[in-house]
Amino acid sequence: MFNGFTGVLYRELHVFSKKAKKQIIASSLSPLLFLIAFGWGFGKEVTVDGLPYITFLIPGLITMSALNQSYGIALELNISRFYFHVFDEFLIAPVRQVEIVLGEACFGIFRAMISAALIFIYSILFGVKLIISPIFFLAFFFHTFLFATLGVTMAMIVKDHGSQASVNTFVITPMIFLCGTFFPVDKLPAFFKGMVHILPLTYSTKVIRASLTGGNINTTYLGLMAAFAILFFGTALWAVKRVEA
Amino acid sequence: MPSDKPILQVRALTKRFGQKSAVRGIDLTINEGEFWGLLGANGAGKTTTIKLLTGLTRPDSGEIQYRGRDFFRFFREAKKLIGVVPQQNNLDRDLTANENLTLHAILHGIPRKHRAERINEVLDVAGLTEYRDKPVKTFSGGMKRRLVVVRSLLHHPRILFLDEPTSGLDPQIRRNLWELIQKINREQKTAVLMTTHYIEEAEKLCHRVKIISSGQVIADDTPEQLKKGIGHYVLEGGEQELFFKTMQDAKDKQKTVHGESSVREVSLEDVFIKLTGKRINV
Ligand SMILES: Nc1ncnc2c1ncn2[C@@H]1O[C@H](COP(=O)(O)OP(=O)(O)OP(=O)(O)O)[C@@H](O)[C@H]1O
Ligand SMILES: [Mg+2]
Repeated sequence: MFNGFTGVLYRELHVFSKKAKKQIIASSLSPLLFLIAFGWGFGKEVTVDGLPYITFLIPGLITMSALNQSYGIALELNISRFYFHVFDEFLIAPVRQVEIVLGEACFGIFRAMISAALIFIYSILFGVKLIISPIFFLAFFFHTFLFATLGVTMAMIVKDHGSQASVNTFVITPMIFLCGTFFPVDKLPAFFKGMVHILPLTYSTKVIRASLTGGNINTTYLGLMAAFAILFFGTALWAVKRVEA
Repeated sequence: MPSDKPILQVRALTKRFGQKSAVRGIDLTINEGEFWGLLGANGAGKTTTIKLLTGLTRPDSGEIQYRGRDFFRFFREAKKLIGVVPQQNNLDRDLTANENLTLHAILHGIPRKHRAERINEVLDVAGLTEYRDKPVKTFSGGMKRRLVVVRSLLHHPRILFLDEPTSGLDPQIRRNLWELIQKINREQKTAVLMTTHYIEEAEKLCHRVKIISSGQVIADDTPEQLKKGIGHYVLEGGEQELFFKTMQDAKDKQKTVHGESSVREVSLEDVFIKLTGKRINV
């Protein structure tokens, strides 16, 4: 019944398990560097939005890492499309395209969960207390699902591996720097402030940070995250249906 | 013997890549159990045709039906009938032979309890039993090719698309593979559409052959009829080849030729060269 979903997860998890150690170490390094540079650098004296900076920063890093990991499946999908043609096995198989999308999304969420867990460990080491509530899990799910399905969409529509890299350079990286990971977006000049409110990461960061630090959850933002998740699920499905080998 | 029930019917299939027409109006009917060859020079459109027929590429126009039902409306049902050996190996290099086959088994809905048995069966056929748990990236080209071929058989397809299944294999292995494919075709009545650059392979295996050139069919018949079409005997001398109905005619002509010459039976390769004006590049 769910052969496509099971197949995609079987493939992704088996490949992942062979590289798990390397990948986990690699993905744990950059948040640690940010924590050391900004967390220790600014210390506990600096407060942002009424929080010690390091407490402000850690939820931002969780959101960022989760984005990198969930969206990051795009890169691997690209390699399997363009270099080894492994993706053709999914396309030739008698499975629904929606199962391929959901299988890949689940794998993206799984990777994001590992990276988030690592940062939770860091937060303990740095003596930062975070509140883990059901609303956090809901927000985290919307966040990772929307970026995983965005990743699937991009991986299907790019024509080669190079264009995938440009998307990362021109969209993903600026988004991480502007959408509230390191400082509150309210500090941005009006033009940029308007711009970042088109980008889903802004809402993810706000909601996830509020949920982890005991702030007020803006339900409109949570709703917008859900809307983005549905939108990108739709585009991913559309893209997998029209992709050609 | 093949039946006269069509498993695949194709009408007026076309595919363009930008300005370039790769497939220009191909018609094809394959009956259950038939063995077809699709021959053509490099770039003739063989791979594109197979991609169209297996749903990897969408046609610009034309109709594809499996067992009388539209391919795209009954996409999943039709795909269950299909087994594919693509021109380029598409194995997962990081996975072992067993894991690659297991993935295929899952995707094709082979029940868990039959999986291991079926996988061991095809590994044995491929002569890869002792490499079951080795990562594919450690395999030689020939081992990978064999794995791809038996993987396509795992789910007992009713029609097999083989895009140069034997390219890059040494003669012994190639022969084994022919025998395997022929056995599947004979015993399980699996229809086959095979492209190949080894024309003698097509001549030996195929019930019928289509020759395509620049995306169009230029000949379609049994290897026997195709050979009859140009004559039974060929006189080779110097630059040219001449074709004759009888051995005697050929021998008579040979007496008038200067220099070295020889008379032999016509092969499918002669037909191919005559029709396409090209020698196939191996
Ligand atoms: N994705 C593509 N984009 C643009 N042109 C393509 C694409 N795929 C194939 N073509 C063109 O279509 C034509 C047919 O290619 P195809 O791969 O079907 O040939 P082939 O008969 O399989 O050749 P070969 O014997 O070399 O494998 C060629 O001219 C090729 O350049
Ligand atoms: Mg080809």
